[in-house]
Amino acid sequence: MRNNTVHKGFVMAAVVVVTFVGLLAQSPARQQLARGNALWDQRLANSAIAALEAAARDRGTASEAYEALGRLYTFKGWLQDNVFPGWHDEPEYREKALAALKASLAADAARASAQEALRVAEGFAAADKIDPAAPRPEVRALDVKLQSYQTTPDAPVSDIVAAIEARAKAQADPAPYFTGAQILIDHGEYDRAIAMAQRGVAASDRFIDENLSAYRMAGKSQGSYARGRGTAADLVGWALFLKKDYAAAAAKLEEAERLLQGLDFANEFHLGELARMQRRPARDYYVNALSLAGGPAPLRQRATEALAHLEGPGPVPTELDAWLEAELSRRRDQRKAAALESLVDRPLPKLTLTTVDGKPYDTAGLRGKVLLLNFFASW
Amino acid sequence: MPHLKTAYAKYQTDPGVAFLLVSIDDDSKRLQRYLNEMKFPFPVARAAAGQAEQVMGFDNIPSTFYVDREGIVRYEAGGSESHGDSPSRVSWLIDQLAHRQ
Repeated sequence: MRNNTVHKGFVMAAVVVVTFVGLLAQSPARQQLARGNALWDQRLANSAIAALEAAARDRGTASEAYEALGRLYTFKGWLQDNVFPGWHDEPEYREKALAALKASLAADAARASAQEALRVAEGFAAADKIDPAAPRPEVRALDVKLQSYQTTPDAPVSDIVAAIEARAKAQADPAPYFTGAQILIDHGEYDRAIAMAQRGVAASDRFIDENLSAYRMAGKSQGSYARGRGTAADLVGWALFLKKDYAAAAAKLEEAERLLQGLDFANEFHLGELARMQRRPARDYYVNALSLAGGPAPLRQRATEALAHLEGPGPVPTELDAWLEAELSRRRDQRKAAALESLVDRPLPKLTLTTVDGKPYDTAGLRGKVLLLNFFASW
Repeated sequence: MPHLKTAYAKYQTDPGVAFLLVSIDDDSKRLQRYLNEMKFPFPVARAAAGQAEQVMGFDNIPSTFYVDREGIVRYEAGGSESHGDSPSRVSWLIDQLAHRQ
């Protein structure tokens, strides 16, 4: 009996707490805090920072909001190298991280989670090298779930779509849309795949916009925009090809080739399949594809087989392997040379240097020495 | 960058080896703050970002070039190369050039 009474009392207390939290959730500052945290979970940095900064201005949420900002800045300062393609650590956030965590403790000195976060950040500041952050476990689990549909040809389409949506909701990068579009293509759902790839473009653009400073060089963010758009164009083009709309497929696959600079295995393979179907010269596309790294083994196998059965002038079938090997290594070398346009084994070019305060820099003292020349930026 | 500091300790007194850092920052104030924070033991110069990227042909920051005594660039390590600037890798590259006849 006694236990029962205690139990009831507990339930009553729980109801009161839930109501109380419910009331608080309606305060604008607390809404901003919740919004900021959710946005950061999705890795939408700029919007998350704006919401958390708003919440930090309210005394009721300052401690929590500053802690969240401190954790976000810690990530930007020390943990984001290559977490997404093209991302770098942003050292200018390191001071901000320490300052935000101290501000959290200034607002609430007893806040244990902020004390812990500050201790971690100070450890990073003292360390030589920090390993980048691992993917969040819940995102990894959703990725695994989505990828499981690659090998289940009879899965209901609604399940696949739900898995794409769930992963896209958890983190805002475009990968689930592109992975999902490919799975939908494999399941014969071409129109759904096209729609999914198009949503991927919007997601990709927004994700880069929200994290622009993580790319540090304009060339890298531009490359990432182009990669997102190119990947989508290739998926759309391939779905159109499978729908036998060859003219529209050609337009999309060629757009993808321009965006991806002819350096994507799947895109070159798709262009080869299209050219073969349209009885245009296809050999170059297949060889291009095979000279690129990446692409699943079965597709590479299909590209090799397609080469063996092409009509028109080409290597004698019995010499195909040797011809292909020579051709592939020639192309790899060519690409390497073009991509690098490297200074290696060439004289150090003339470059105008100044001192930190803008006077001409005297390089006489460097002559005749082995020189390590490091180009850097504080951003 | 901390790796370069570590590697530099080995060559600080070697008259045959020089380190030069070149900043491509355009914001002088931010650069100065950064330098105050990093306290590099080696000389730092500045170059215009556009010119440096074009003349040196790098598309990554940081990028490191290793130049031999004759002024020929012998190695290049882009920012994305893993361990491109680990202390042992840096000193291995320098030693290759320092010991070359």
